[in-house]
Parts: sequence; structure tokens; C-alpha cells
Amino acid sequence: MDGNFFSFLGENLTEFLTFTGFANVTFGHIFMIAVGLVFISLAIIKEWEPMLLIPIGFGILIGNIPFKDAGLQIGIYEEGSVLNILYQGVQQGWYPPLIFLGIGAMTDFSALISNPKLMLVGAAAQFGIFGAYIIALAMGFEPNQAGAIGIIGGADGPTAIFLSSKLAPNLMGAIAISAYSYMALVPVIQPPIMKLLTTKKERLIRMKPPRAVSQTEKIIFPIAGLLLTTFLVPSGLPLLGMLFFGNLIKESGVTRRLAETARGPLIDVITILLGVTVGASTQATQFLKWESILIFVLGALSFVIATSAGVLFVKFFNLFLKEGNKINPLIGNSGVSAVPDSARISHHVGLEYDPTNYLLMHAMGPNVAGVIGSAVAAGILLGFLM
Amino acid sequence: MLNKLSKGFKLAALSLLFTGSLSAQQAIYLRLNEVMPNNVDNYQDDYGKQSAWIEIFNNSPATVDLGGCFLTTDINNPTMYPIPKGDILTKVKARQHIIFWADNNPSHGTFHLNFALDSVKPNFIAIFDSNGKTLIDSITIPPIGPDQSFARVLDGSGAWALAEKVTPSTNNKILTGQEAVLKFKENDPTGVGMAITAMMVVFFALIVLYVVFKCIGNTAMRISKRNALKAQKGTVVQKPVDLGTESGEVFAAIAMALHEYNNEAHDLENTVLTINRVTRNYSPWNSKIYGLKELPKKR
Repeated sequence: MDGNFFSFLGENLTEFLTFTGFANVTFGHIFMIAVGLVFISLAIIKEWEPMLLIPIGFGILIGNIPFKDAGLQIGIYEEGSVLNILYQGVQQGWYPPLIFLGIGAMTDFSALISNPKLMLVGAAAQFGIFGAYIIALAMGFEPNQAGAIGIIGGADGPTAIFLSSKLAPNLMGAIAISAYSYMALVPVIQPPIMKLLTTKKERLIRMKPPRAVSQTEKIIFPIAGLLLTTFLVPSGLPLLGMLFFGNLIKESGVTRRLAETARGPLIDVITILLGVTVGASTQATQFLKWESILIFVLGALSFVIATSAGVLFVKFFNLFLKEGNKINPLIGNSGVSAVPDSARISHHVGLEYDPTNYLLMHAMGPNVAGVIGSAVAAGILLGFLM
Repeated sequence: MLNKLSKGFKLAALSLLFTGSLSAQQAIYLRLNEVMPNNVDNYQDDYGKQSAWIEIFNNSPATVDLGGCFLTTDINNPTMYPIPKGDILTKVKARQHIIFWADNNPSHGTFHLNFALDSVKPNFIAIFDSNGKTLIDSITIPPIGPDQSFARVLDGSGAWALAEKVTPSTNNKILTGQEAVLKFKENDPTGVGMAITAMMVVFFALIVLYVVFKCIGNTAMRISKRNALKAQKGTVVQKPVDLGTESGEVFAAIAMALHEYNNEAHDLENTVLTINRVTRNYSPWNSKIYGLKELPKKR
């Protein structure tokens, strides 16, 4: 054991220390880890969208463990790394359509089919997307970036990821985190706007119970829905195609196994991969920019505009409807496609004013119409700006 | 069993048919894109020589293999130069180009043709599919000066003209991919135009769905009423019940009640609500004394 050996050991140890997270940590990493912990806490303590916030929050922790850039192929942005391979589903945009397949296989469109005029509420709420687009342009974003940011107002995470991966891949992390954060915050954002824009009398409107819908109608819906919407907006095909396909395998009644796989194991697997990789994509060096803060501000605005547009549209629509056919404007908020959270909000706020007025089934109509509307809106933006 | 096998064969045959037609479809996207019939002091081949060249463009969004296709200068001899199969270099990626040298020297490799172009007379050039019969694209190049090329104005489509710049193996017209964005930036800087257009389309799409499903719903209700009336014929019920407008909740409640009645559910309950004190026999398993969370006592 001579001195050389100990100096060799010392050098090795020093070298090893340069590889540790402690040696490479920056304020940005600490900040993002704190954000990840907040997400996880909100999911566990408040139970806000735990299925999304737990994977995303933990993904943020994974993505922000500091490491030396020595080509070890561990970071999500290093080509060939495991995380990078999993991230391809986000980058290439094939996770979102698979999520839509699962959503289609678990969504019951009966409420919408029984009262199809509620589709228009789902269309009105898409004002949030284009309102945010206008504001984003005024803030200096390019039209393609503004389109990708505006889609946050659709309150649809997979659609936001799909569109941003095509229009503004460099902003995708911030857009995805913003979309999912505000979806989780729907119970906080929407009720004050709904109460502000409605009178007590309007909140007490009772709607006719939805009629029974036959299986034939349920089977025709996905087929007609696909043909009508995608002939008009073919660029929405990946999302709308999978949504309606998922719904057909559910409603056909003869492909139960496929429907169960799509709405169970498949959507769970993709949700895990999507959540973790979107979270991990918020690597501090790539994510902490002035633009990301602006995107968060615009995301909040788009949710406010979408909710307001939905509620105000119902009030406007009521002017043309006969007494007895009027729509409770509290379901206007559910035109955003955060399914079923925004419908639940309509229901809960409605119960605050009349404990026997159950709005959930009525609110599900515009809610699922919002999913179709936001996918159509995404298709339009893609068609115009790609 | 035989019936099943026959169905399987039919399905397999059908899938083979589709696979075949798909692979055949790919070559139809190939386009003659630029030609230089008289190369004096321009683009050089791998051997450092200048010869006439023909550029082919893959106008599809997927890779296309040229292997097996034919290039010719004679419409009556479509299989003049068979492009060799199995060369990985004949696979042209989406919207990319490839150059063939018309130097009448096929021994120099896959991309050296067995014919040359005439530098003085018009040149007819055509590309045929692998069956040697289907013409994919053709052009007659007029006589042009040395080191000049005749090219499509826009790659893969549109008219041919004398090229302003010679662009072998690259785009005839440089596209930045931002044309749509620039167009919106220039014509709609506030975004109001986009908002109005897009909202109109969204509303239109959902209004169409609304109209269609309103009609389908009305038809379904009519059918339901008709069936209900049919079912009631010959029964004692005088007044027909309007089933079509009844709430789904009512049907659900009736169905649940019938289901529970038929399955004899809830006739005997296991749990009884009572205000009387219930005595329970002692067991160490439900005793809190033996609970695992008990803290050690200090003495």
C-alpha cells in the first residue's frame, strides 16, 4: 500500500462525487422537485386527479434528479435512453389516440344522444381555446405556438399533448403540465365563475330527465359521429377515430373483451407511461423558462374563458327555449372536456342550491360533447397551422 | 370445421390481396422531378465524371423502394432499364430525391443507366411500375443548353419549366415548412379570423351531429311507440303508454325492482338495526389491549 494507491482511491472518489446529484444540483432542480412534491401531495391529500398527478408528480422527480452530462443515456432527452424511448409515445403523438380509445370504450354517450342539443354547449366551450389563442398572439407567441397553448382551454390532456407535439414540440412539456394541472384544479376554478354568471333562479332550473336510449342509437352514434366529424376535419382523425372506435367496441355488445381491455389495462398502461414521461420531460434545464410561466397564465385564462363561454351560451340558448325545456346554466361549465370532473362540478354546485336537483346526467351530455369539440378544434388548428 | 377453415382461407386471401395492392400503390407516388440532358461542367458522379442525370422524387409520406421499377426513353420498350432489387439505396425516404446517371454505363452501379440522353434532340423519359406495364410518370424534355436543367416548379407535382437554378438531389423550390404560420401571421395577426373560422367549423360539426341525432332520436321514439302499441294489441290495457318519452331512470328502477324480486334479494336481511344493547362475546382478537399500535409503557 503505497501513497499512489491512496491518491488513486482519492481521485476515484472525487471523480465519483462529480457524478452524484449533489454535485450537479441547481436551483432549478430543487424548484422542480418541489413542484413534483406539491403535485403528489395534492393528489394524495386533496385527491385531485390522483391518476394523473401521481404519475406526473413522480415523473417530475425522476426528470429532475441532477446528473452529470457524460453520455450515460439516463436523461429523457438523451437519444436511446430508456426514458427517451418511452417518451417517443408522447413526442410522436401515439399515446394520446390510445388514451382516446380507452375514453371511447368507457364513455356512455346516452345523455348526449337523448338530448342532442347539449352538443352545442360542448361547442361553445371551445371559445376558451380560441380566446387563449388570441391572447397568446397578443403576448408575442407565434401562431403555431399560440394554437398549441390555446388547446389547454379544451381541458383535454391527451389532445393538448397531441397538438403541441405537432405544432410546438419545444413547448410540449409546459403545455402538458399546465393542461393537467388545471384539469386537476377544475373544482377550484369553475364554481366561482359559474356562481358569478348565473342568478339564483337560473341555478334552480330543473331539466327533463333524459329519455331511454336504444342500443341501436348507441351503435349508430360512433359510426355517424366518425363519418360526420372526420369528413369535415380529417386532421382530427387520430383522436376522433380512436374515440369513436373505442365507443363502438363498447356499444356493439359483441366485443366485450376488447372494450374491457381498452378501458382497463390498456388505458391504465398508457396513462402511467404518459404521466411519468410528461412529468420527466420537465427537466429544469429545458422547462424553467419565462415562456413556461406565460403558458401557465394563458392556461388559466383559457379555462376561465371556456367555463364562462359555456355558461353564457346556455343562458343565451335559454332565450330561445320554451318553459319546461330550458337548460340549467350550471351545466355550461361541463362543455370543457375534463370528463367527468366538470360534470361533477355542475352536479355539486346544483345540489348546493337545490338538494333534489340532480344535474350529473344532464351535465355529462355537454361534457362528452366537449371531448368531441376539443378534438375537432385540435384538428382545425392542426389543419390550419401545420 | 371445414367451414371454419374455408373462412380462414378466405380471410388470408383477402389480407394477401390488400398487402399486394398496398405495396403496388407505393411506387405510384414516384415522380420524375428534374433532368439535365447535357451535363458539361456540373454535378459529378462518384467516379468524378459529368453525365446527364435524371432526378426522381418520392411524393409520398412514406419510404418507397424503386427496386424492380423500370426507367426508359422508349415508350415501346418500357423495361429498358430495370432498377435492381435488393439494393438498400433504392429505398427513397418520404419526400426525398434520388439521382440516376444516364451515362450508358450500368456496370458502374445501380444508379448508372444503360442508356444516355441526347444533348441536342428532345428526350422522352418514363418510369414504369414493377409489372413493366403501368406507366407511373413520363416527360419529354425539350432541347436545352449545356448545364441547364428542366424541372418541376414544385417538387413532385405541377408544371415543368427550365429551372432558374440547377438543384440535383435537393428541392426545386425551397420550403421552410412555416408557410401556413407565415400566412396567418401576415393576414390574421390578432387571431380573430382564426377564432371565427374555427368556431364556425366546430359549431357546424356539432350542429350536423345534433340534426342527425335529433332525426335518429325521433325515429327511434316513433319505432318504440309503434312497438309498444303492437305489444298492447289484444291486452286489457285501453290507453297506450307513451314509452318513448319516459325517463330512463323509471325503466332502470323497474328493471332493478324486477331483478331483485326474481333473485329473491332482500327478503332476508343479515343485518338488523336496533336500539337495544348488543352483547358480544369476548375474544382476545378484538381486544384493544392486544392492538399492535399500543405504545410501550414507561415504568
